[in-house]
Amino acid sequence: MLFFSFFKTLIDNQVTVELKNDIQIRGTLKSVDQYLNIKLDNIEVVDDIKYPHLSSVKNVFIRGSVVRYVHLPHNAVDVTLLEDATRREAANQAAKAK
Amino acid sequence: MAGHNMAAPGFSQSYDPFAELSRHDDDADALDFEDTYDGLGDQLDETDDAFNDDTFGGEAISSSNAPVGRDFDFFGSTAKVANAMEEEYVRFNRQPPAPRAAATAASTSTNYGLPGYNQASYPPRPARTGYEKYKDPEPTADLQVDASIWGTAPKKAATPAAANPSQYAPPPAGRKMMSLEEVEAAMHAAKPAVMPQPQVQAQHPPHFASPQPQVQFQSQPPPQFGRQDSVDYRYQQPEGQSQVFQSHDVRHTAQAQGGPHGHPITILQRPSSKPVPAGPSMSSSLPQQQQHLQQPSMSGPTQILQNPSRMSGDAARMGYPAQPTHPMHQMHRSQNSFSRQPQAVSHPAQLPAMSDQDKATYLEAEARRAKRNHKIYILSKDNGLMTPHDKSFITRIQLQQLVSATGDPNEYGTDAALAEDFYYQVHSSLAAQRPNPSQPLNNFAQTYLFQTGNRHGGMRRHNRGPENHMQRMEQQVQRAVEAAKNKPKNKQLVIEGSLGKISFSNAKTPKPLLNIKRTESGTEVNRPASTHHRTPAATGVTDRKVTLRAIESVYMILMKMEDHERTMPPLANGDTDQESVERQSEWQLVAEKLNNQLWDALKVHEPIGANAVHPFIAFISYPKGKKVIPRVFRQLSHEQRTTILTLIVVHLDQLDVVQGAQVQSGEPINLSAAMRESIEAFSMAVMPCLFNLLNDTELHIVTAVLGIIIQKLSIDTIARTRIGISMLTMILSRAEIIKEAGLANEQAWQQWVVQFNDFFNHLEPTLPNIFPGSVTSGEDVYVWQFLAAIGIGASPDEQQRLVLAVKDRVMDTVALSKTLPADMAKQRLDNVNLFMRSIGLDVELLQ
Repeated sequence: MLFFSFFKTLIDNQVTVELKNDIQIRGTLKSVDQYLNIKLDNIEVVDDIKYPHLSSVKNVFIRGSVVRYVHLPHNAVDVTLLEDATRREAANQAAKAK
Repeated sequence: MAGHNMAAPGFSQSYDPFAELSRHDDDADALDFEDTYDGLGDQLDETDDAFNDDTFGGEAISSSNAPVGRDFDFFGSTAKVANAMEEEYVRFNRQPPAPRAAATAASTSTNYGLPGYNQASYPPRPARTGYEKYKDPEPTADLQVDASIWGTAPKKAATPAAANPSQYAPPPAGRKMMSLEEVEAAMHAAKPAVMPQPQVQAQHPPHFASPQPQVQFQSQPPPQFGRQDSVDYRYQQPEGQSQVFQSHDVRHTAQAQGGPHGHPITILQRPSSKPVPAGPSMSSSLPQQQQHLQQPSMSGPTQILQNPSRMSGDAARMGYPAQPTHPMHQMHRSQNSFSRQPQAVSHPAQLPAMSDQDKATYLEAEARRAKRNHKIYILSKDNGLMTPHDKSFITRIQLQQLVSATGDPNEYGTDAALAEDFYYQVHSSLAAQRPNPSQPLNNFAQTYLFQTGNRHGGMRRHNRGPENHMQRMEQQVQRAVEAAKNKPKNKQLVIEGSLGKISFSNAKTPKPLLNIKRTESGTEVNRPASTHHRTPAATGVTDRKVTLRAIESVYMILMKMEDHERTMPPLANGDTDQESVERQSEWQLVAEKLNNQLWDALKVHEPIGANAVHPFIAFISYPKGKKVIPRVFRQLSHEQRTTILTLIVVHLDQLDVVQGAQVQSGEPINLSAAMRESIEAFSMAVMPCLFNLLNDTELHIVTAVLGIIIQKLSIDTIARTRIGISMLTMILSRAEIIKEAGLANEQAWQQWVVQFNDFFNHLEPTLPNIFPGSVTSGEDVYVWQFLAAIGIGASPDEQQRLVLAVKDRVMDTVALSKTLPADMAKQRLDNVNLFMRSIGLDVELLQ
């Protein structure tokens, strides 16, 4: 749940989602769910010359499984907190595995 | 119906000629001689005549101009010419549209039971059965009158009651054809039937338990369609009206029994009387009727479902209250003839003033409403199936599902939520605080915003207002969720005989694709492997691992401590509540235990010099080791912090940020990016802690710290690093502040001065070299600060020596500033001025 928890905090921030087919879509993160499906609003495709078919699309729902990367807005991430959250997650997983 | 069908051929064969003939005339005659419909009779006669011409070849009569005499005797002539009669019959059948013919063939009971068929079959004929009246736009109030009219026509009903086929045959022939005797016979038959009427009115359901076969049969058989319909719509009514319908029901049964009693019944009976003739059909139909009578309510609903022509029933319902039975028939008939004869469709009672279209829409709406009511009725039989307890049980399950899928909003900030959703919970609690700086920070903020001080994060939860219902419900939900969580989860299901396991998954714990059992020995097995390969070269790697592991354990302990801190019981302020005091001490005990763990994990007490690098120094040589110091300091006592300060100072020259960050004056600063980052981290994380700590220390400790530096360390090494300089600045300025504040006694101050002088002597040779890089690099602010700190505390003699030592740099900087843009020049000069002013000078004097 760490990623879900993390992405929830990025809602209403601008992110760039890089798909496994190399398309990069920049937009405002509107929602994310536990599958890391992503809803973006006001999107623009980073290389819109190459992918003109998306030029008229305003918002998208991206299935989590097709996402390769999400480029994060640096200032929206609390690194220290994220580190601790990661530690907790790891501890939880370790506890569950036993 | 099956019985009727089987019997039908028999009926029709013996009966056909008259049945067809009687159809038109029958009703007209009946109405006529009862004087029920004044004026209408003429109309009917006319139409009948016209029709008769059609049927019986009136043309021929008129064309031949033959004397009416015998030709007029239809019965006689038809009897003579049986063949011709047959032809007539065929033609007659053909005349009306096909459905009508089918109906005729289907069953006699239907035929005469429902005069409406005639209507349908004879389009030209305006009306029969007296319904034409309804065609005229009339207020509904008229309906009542009509009902009474029907009520006054028991004689009509009586005729059927006494009727047998032979008796009945005459009426069809029409008024003209009927002989006096026949008419009289019919009237006689009617009278006895009239008599029972009052009795029947009073009759109640119990009566039909012992029905008289004959009466029953008379009244019942033909209208079975209608009967069903009536039951039908009764049950479509909303529950609330069931009483009313029940009474209707009663009336129905009464009708069925006593035939001649109620007004509506008469109508119903008249058609029904006709089927009587055939003996065999009687026996077959009788049981059916009885069934109908005895369990009308039972059979009703099921029939509804089977009945394709529900609409007729629905439509009939509208007219029901006024004319319970008859409208049904009418509607049913009209339904059948709908397409053929639109006029006949109109409901006599209810839709007098409506246009065809309106009627259609009205009927449609009615049908829809009826359908809905019916559905409600169907569903209503499940009313009360679930008890409130069941419902709440279901609700709880649903809530539980919801909560476990989405996370309980009420759990916000609680441990359960933190375990699963730590980042989000804390992040948003921090974000919530930022907009309002005056609001006290909770302990998350203290941790993650590097704040120290107020401890009240744990307090908030205890100061909730009075509970309201919502909260109680929340708690219930929470308890339910809690219970569900505690329930041992069976994550796999092995069905006997299956080849695999079925694992359950949900949103939070997806089905694991890999299920690797981690054995306790598993980690142990790996370690020896690595130690096994340990070589002198690998020692560094192992140390690194060990150190990193130590750092992680510190973090884990810290998080435990912070969690523990949040659960701090409210301070028992003043009141000597035994329980709260106990809890407090309990909490304190755990806190102490955790503190000891932390202290051990920091390895501050490892013997100095046992290893090449002290574990703690190694600890803070990693970025995350540095970053954890502020949090560690929050958890430590003053003594522990002082110990750490001492330890750091003792190993100052071993710190990565000192050892690897030597800079030479005049040479370009070539520090790696990693080192710069490291330095930055140290000065951001560790230095403030030490600074705060020093600000709380007494002068003698400051003196001691300076003494350690002088004795154990190479001043030159330290002074040529930014961190070293900063550390010295810190120490010197603290001493100065103590002096300014007058907190130092004379003896302690003298010790300090001695120490300081010693320090200055050690430092003096290095002074020209402490400036990083060339004069143009502009990274020497901290040096000027350091010089200023020295300058303030220095004696005039020392100040002079100081000026001499750094004079070149001062002059260079001033010269450089003249070549720089104004703002940058000012900045440089200000930096220099930090020092100059500390010794009572100013760069202005140099320009």
